[in-house]
Amino acid sequence: MNETWKKRIKYAAAMLIRMAVLMTLLSIIIFVIADKCPGDPLRSYYGDGAERLSIEERQAAEARLGLDQPLPVRYGRWVKNFVKGDLGLSYKYKQPVSEVIGRMWQNTLALGGLAYVLTFGFAVWLGKFCALHEDGVADRVICKIGVISSNIPAFFMALLLILIFSVNLRILPAGGAYSYGMSGSLADRLYHMVLPVTVLVLEHLWYYAYMIRNKLVEETRQDYVLLCKAEGMSRKAIISKSCMRNILPSLLVMMAISVPHILGGTYVVETVFSYPGLGTLSFESAMYKDYNMLMALCMITGLAVLVFNMMAKVINEFIDPRMQYEKTAEEVAGYEA
Amino acid sequence: MKRKPYLSGVILAVIILCCLLANVLAPFESSQMDTAAVSMAPGGGHIFGTDAMGRDLFSMLLYGGRASIYIGLMAAAVSAVIAVVYGAVSGMAGRIADSLMMGFAELVMSVPAILLILFLQAIWGNPSATSIALSIGLTGWMNMAKVVRSEVRQIGKSDYILAARTMGADFGYVLKKHLLPNFISSIMYMVVTAIGQAMITESTLSFLGLGLSLTTVSWGSLMSMSESVLLSNCWWLIVIPGTILVITLVCITQLGEYIRRGNNRLHSNL
Repeated sequence: MNETWKKRIKYAAAMLIRMAVLMTLLSIIIFVIADKCPGDPLRSYYGDGAERLSIEERQAAEARLGLDQPLPVRYGRWVKNFVKGDLGLSYKYKQPVSEVIGRMWQNTLALGGLAYVLTFGFAVWLGKFCALHEDGVADRVICKIGVISSNIPAFFMALLLILIFSVNLRILPAGGAYSYGMSGSLADRLYHMVLPVTVLVLEHLWYYAYMIRNKLVEETRQDYVLLCKAEGMSRKAIISKSCMRNILPSLLVMMAISVPHILGGTYVVETVFSYPGLGTLSFESAMYKDYNMLMALCMITGLAVLVFNMMAKVINEFIDPRMQYEKTAEEVAGYEA
Repeated sequence: MKRKPYLSGVILAVIILCCLLANVLAPFESSQMDTAAVSMAPGGGHIFGTDAMGRDLFSMLLYGGRASIYIGLMAAAVSAVIAVVYGAVSGMAGRIADSLMMGFAELVMSVPAILLILFLQAIWGNPSATSIALSIGLTGWMNMAKVVRSEVRQIGKSDYILAARTMGADFGYVLKKHLLPNFISSIMYMVVTAIGQAMITESTLSFLGLGLSLTTVSWGSLMSMSESVLLSNCWWLIVIPGTILVITLVCITQLGEYIRRGNNRLHSNL
C-alpha cells in the first residue's frame, strides 16, 4: 500500500467520523426541538378522542407509549432501538415507522427522480441554447420567462394548474398517486405525476439553466474558443464539445448538491397534491408530533444533505486536488441561494 | 453592456409607495365587510372584487403588501446580519473552529425548515409579522454565511489586515473597515434575492396554515384562500394577489441581477 492510498483512507475515515458526529448532533437537536414543539402526541394516536380521555387514561396511555419519562431517557431508548434497526411505532398510523416509510418512499423517489432528470435534461439544453444565442431575442425572451416561472411560489403554481387542468378542463387528476384500485398500473401513476412533476421542474429549471448559461457565457470569453473557431469548428460544436467539457466539473458538483434541494422541493408539492410520499409524511408528523416518524424522516433528509454535500466535495477534489481542505463544494460551483 | 433595470425599479417603487400610503389610497378598511357585495367579480365599486366575506380585495392588497414587504425586508436583514458575523468569525478562525462552525451551518441546513419554523413560532407564541420574519431570517442565513466565509478566508490573510490587528484593532473594527467593504458586493445579490425568497416562504407558510393569524392580512394569506376559490371558482381571489406578488418578486430579482452582473464584460469569442 503506497502513500496516496494511506492518505485517501485517512481522509475518508475523517469524513465518515465527521458525518457520524453531525448525524448524532442532528438527532439530538431534532429530538429536543420536537419535544418543545406544541401539539399533543396522544392526539395523533387517538385522533380527536384524545381530548375526551380522563386524567388516569391519559397517564396510562402516556406510560404505554413511554411518553412519561424524561427527555434524556427517551432519547437514550430511541438511540438503542435505532442501532438495533428498530425505528419505533408511528403514533398516527399505529404501524412500525419502517413499514409506513417503506410504503411511501418509492412514491417520493419516483416523483423527485423524474423531476430531477427532467430538470437537468432541460437545464443543460436551455443553458446551451441561451449561451449560443447570447443577448439575442430568443435568449432574452427565455431569460424573462425563466425569471417569472422561478418566482412563482410552488404552491401557487400548483393551485393554478389544478384550477386550470383539473377543475375547469378536467383532463388531469388533482391529487393522489393513483386512482382507486389502480396502484399497480404504471400508466396511471405517471398520469398522476404529470402535474406535480411539472410544478417541480418549472420551479427549479431556470435556476440551474441560468447558472449553466452564465458559466458557458463566461467560458466563451476564453482564448481557446478563438482557436477552435480558427480551426473551423462550428459554434454549436465549440459550445457542446469544448465549453461543456470545461464546465462539467462545476455542473457535476451542482448536480450533487441539488439532490436534497429538489427532494426538499417535493415536500410542498406533495402536500398540495396530497401525494402520499415522504413530504406529506414529514409535514404531518411535524404538525401532530408523531415523534418516531419525525425522527426517522429527519434522519433520512439529514443524511441525504450530508452525503450529497460530501459527494460534491469528493468530486471536486478528484477533479482538482488543490481543492482539498481549502474550499467547500458550494463555493466552487458558485452555488448561491 | 449593463442595462439599468429602470422598469423594475419604477414598478417596485410604485408598489411600495401604494402599500405605504394604504390608509390614504384604500377605498375601504381592509377588515370592513360589505354584506351586500359578497364574492363579487372585479369591476364596479370594487376594482379587484370582493371575497366571500365581502371584504374589498384592493384594500386588502394594499394593507397586505405592508406585511409582505416588511417580512421580506426584515427576514433578509436578519439573515444578512447573522451571515456576515457568523461567516466572518468562521473565516478568521483557525481550521478546527472553522470546520466546526461550517459543520453546524450544514447541520442547520439539514433540519427541515418547516420543523425549525414550527418550533420558532411556538417560542414566540402568537404569530405576528415580526415573529414570522425572524423565523424565516433565522432559518435562511446558512448559504450566505458560506459565501462570506470563503471571501473572508481569501482576504483574511492579507497584510493590511495583519497590520490593522498588530496596531490593536479589534475584530469588530476589522470586520467593519476591512472585511465588509471587500465582500459586500458578493453578498449584496444574495441579500436582495433573500427578500424575495422570504416573501415566497411567508406565502407558503400561510398556505400550510402556519402563517400570520387570521386578522392580519398579507399577500401570502390572501393567496392561500384556496378552498374558497376551488369551491366557488372565484379565480380573482388568488390570481390577483398572486400576480402582484410575482410582479414584485420579478422586479426584486431583476434588481438583484443588476447588482450581481459584472460591468464591462469582455466580448464573446464565439
